[in-house]
Amino acid sequence: MRLSIALFGVLLAVVENVHAEDRSVSLDWLEVAAFAGHQTNYSGIFVYQYDNHVETSNIIHVSEADSEFEKLESLDGPKREIIRHDGQVWSYTNHKMVQMESQQGRGRFPFLLPEQLSALNASYQAKQLGVERVAGYDAQVILFQPKDNLRYTHKMWVHTDSGLLLKAAVLTEKNHVAEQYAFTQLQIGGQIDRSWIKLSASAGLQGKGLSQTPIAVKNGETINSGWVADMLPTGFNKTMEILRTMRGKHGPVTQIVYSDGLSAISIFIEANDRDEDDVDGLSSRGALNLSHKVKDKYLITVVGEVPPHTVMQVLDSVRYNGK
Amino acid sequence: MKHKISALMDGELFEDDVGVVLDQLKRDPATRKNWAAYHLIGDVLRQPDHIHSDLSAKVRERMQDEPTMLAPRSYSVRQKMRTIALSAAASLSAVGVVAWMSLQISPEVAPQMAMQQTALRPVSMQIQPKSDDYLIAHQEFSPSADVNGGASYIRTVSYSIDETTHNKNPSEKQAK
Repeated sequence: MRLSIALFGVLLAVVENVHAEDRSVSLDWLEVAAFAGHQTNYSGIFVYQYDNHVETSNIIHVSEADSEFEKLESLDGPKREIIRHDGQVWSYTNHKMVQMESQQGRGRFPFLLPEQLSALNASYQAKQLGVERVAGYDAQVILFQPKDNLRYTHKMWVHTDSGLLLKAAVLTEKNHVAEQYAFTQLQIGGQIDRSWIKLSASAGLQGKGLSQTPIAVKNGETINSGWVADMLPTGFNKTMEILRTMRGKHGPVTQIVYSDGLSAISIFIEANDRDEDDVDGLSSRGALNLSHKVKDKYLITVVGEVPPHTVMQVLDSVRYNGK
Repeated sequence: MKHKISALMDGELFEDDVGVVLDQLKRDPATRKNWAAYHLIGDVLRQPDHIHSDLSAKVRERMQDEPTMLAPRSYSVRQKMRTIALSAAASLSAVGVVAWMSLQISPEVAPQMAMQQTALRPVSMQIQPKSDDYLIAHQEFSPSADVNGGASYIRTVSYSIDETTHNKNPSEKQAK
């Protein structure tokens, strides 16, 4: 089913503030990819590379009526599985299926907000690099190159027919791969296995199935926490500031999210009751970098898909500016 | 770019994972199938037009491509690999080849890999599983989830090498 032409017609109307044609077409592809990811039924195997690891996983995504179901299953190492359904997330890991704290009610459409796209415009140069084949499908290659060294380069391969993202890479300034994922096998549409949707219901999701009323998850409430970070790179706009619960935490956690359209930085602030001798330091996983420190009685954690020095810079500048 | 890819592929098997991989491959046909998929990736990344499903053909082809792919390696290593590869069947012995390759990484490759590591970060400073909840909380609001969809969630669920050893406690086993 050729969705691309119809999609373009709809989405071109949504995209705003575009200048050069190359850039506008690239942003179109991005919106197409986001849209297709939600709307398309697909099933496939992809490989995720990060740091010294390569792991293979299986993903099934089903969208029907107003609902989305998605299952992600690791094929290497110990069994890990993530099931997502309309904003809720369950994770099977260490032989247990646990519901993750998640924030329901994320906007479904537009999948990329106009603000995100214009932020992207400000911080990245977008260009198309031709067509390549991935998993047997033709893909348009688009490149988002940052205008400073405080963020990573993003490269994407979008299926020219369905708009699905087939491959994506995050590259460092030196053109090293921070992380990359690529489909090796992909079935789009057609008969997709849906048996797992019911199976998961009986697999002991704490007694409740996916189709039943979900466990009430306390939504984070939007607040003005009084915390600020002075040294955010330009182009990062605050997209969220909430007080929320997190699994394993005794008290509420403030989460402030900033985004430049392609990457995001989260700042978590919580009471430091752990009394840890945790060494302040930087750790990483693929494109994600994380660092934390104790400031007065608070534990501040910064995580984002930005280079380590950016995370450190932001962390250093977090301070309380409230009453 | 080619140096990077070959270093990455080798790097993945450079550590203790080799034993685990071989073990699993001996036991599990599904894993062998994934192994084939894994080699497919190499082809996808390097030469998108040449995707084969026959594993041994791929290995042979890669050996033929050898000078470009394995530039940093020493000549004797390349010879060894060529000998082994050509006699490999599309099964466990092919696994042995790649394992052999990784174990035989020549000195000039190792610093290159080390350079790449330090260019990003020291490998030892990996985000610990205890921080996974931060990653999941971050992931919910990250644009990568918008564009990449569910696939990007895979990085929020990590495992440490300790957990790969089979220390399943039967009394803790849940429904699945």
